[in-house]
Amino acid sequence: MECFSISGSCVSNLHFHFTENGHSQPPLFNSQFTAFSSLILSSNFPNYPYPFILFPLQTLLHLFLAYSKALERTQSSSFGYHFGLQEPLETELVTVPEATDQLAENLPSDSGVYAVFDSNSELQFVGISRNIAASVLAHRKSVPELCSSVKVGVVAEPDRTALTQAWKSWMEEHIKATGKVPSGNETGNTTWIRQAPKKKPDLRLTPGRHVQLTVPLEELIDRLVKENKVVAFIKGSRSAPLCGFSQRVVGILENQGVDYESVDVLDEEYNCGLRETLKKYSNWPTFPQIFVNGELVGGCDILTSMHENGELDGLFKK
Amino acid sequence: MGSRGAKELVSRATKIKTKLQSAFEARILELEDVSHRHASHAAVKGNPNFAAGETHFNLRIVSPRFEGQSLVKRHRMVYDALAEELQSGLHALSIVAKTPQEVEIQQKRAPQ
Repeated sequence: MECFSISGSCVSNLHFHFTENGHSQPPLFNSQFTAFSSLILSSNFPNYPYPFILFPLQTLLHLFLAYSKALERTQSSSFGYHFGLQEPLETELVTVPEATDQLAENLPSDSGVYAVFDSNSELQFVGISRNIAASVLAHRKSVPELCSSVKVGVVAEPDRTALTQAWKSWMEEHIKATGKVPSGNETGNTTWIRQAPKKKPDLRLTPGRHVQLTVPLEELIDRLVKENKVVAFIKGSRSAPLCGFSQRVVGILENQGVDYESVDVLDEEYNCGLRETLKKYSNWPTFPQIFVNGELVGGCDILTSMHENGELDGLFKK
Repeated sequence: MGSRGAKELVSRATKIKTKLQSAFEARILELEDVSHRHASHAAVKGNPNFAAGETHFNLRIVSPRFEGQSLVKRHRMVYDALAEELQSGLHALSIVAKTPQEVEIQQKRAPQ
């Protein structure tokens, strides 16, 4: 997954403390302060495609988007990105609508930055998203009391650098104005950051191949599959399976939302000898192999077929 | 290669088919060699056994012998019949094993 794919998981990388690329220092909020210009709403775009409707905040937002998109069409490619930068933070709040479909209509599903304000118009959080509307929706679901209104800035050329720059400029602006980081962006604050569910590590059968086992490998396998409800023996790790069949198995298990353990049969360091021993143990000559409640369910074909027949739900509930 | 070369004259696909046919009295036996799709597979590249292809197959087999057997059991039956092949370089076998009855039901369900 790209770092910026969804707001929750991505924002952590842009948290006040940068960790990407090995930098452990906070981003610099100094010299590069952007001169924020007010939006030019009228004369430049007499034929903007968005109607003035309802209340002015929305109108401004729409205009901004129209302007941004038009710029994208007419100007050099980097212009939209600069436009994103110049988008001032303090004005033009968009009330977060109650209904989901309204939210989708009023907010762009584009990439960019967004700032969330509470009912006192206090800035709570500045985030980056590949789909602003979806991110805001997710925030409103998790912390409705803090999501009163938002400010969005679509970034026209939304590569990583551009998005980071846009985010930085908003942070800079807020810090300059208030002297502090938005509370949601403070280190350690996890209110807004929905960590992508961490993938479990793959299980290891042995402490290492040079360590003499006191228990036969076969017994270790036996314990493992009996002590864990669902165990998948796969080629490669669960986060990066090295075989198409293993990949499909992981996909199905993830798709089912099953809490499962995985063992990499190719791991010669920690699962040395596992392949041959497991083949004998299970009387099954190929991998992947899936065990439920200590019993072999089968390999990729069987799991796929059960998945398609809807038999898996029953199996995992047992 | 030497003496082995002569043995290899019969393709693995043929051997698999012959073995399965006699073991299962298969009504339908379809074997597809998909080794080319796995040509870049690490296990295939590094292993001299796999040089000639015929490492990955898709199998569809319909046999009355599968009646009353679980999927795992059916696959095991197929694997057992092909034990020799599996030991000599058959790397992956994707199996669809059905009974004639199941095929009939499936055909009825499918839109005409």
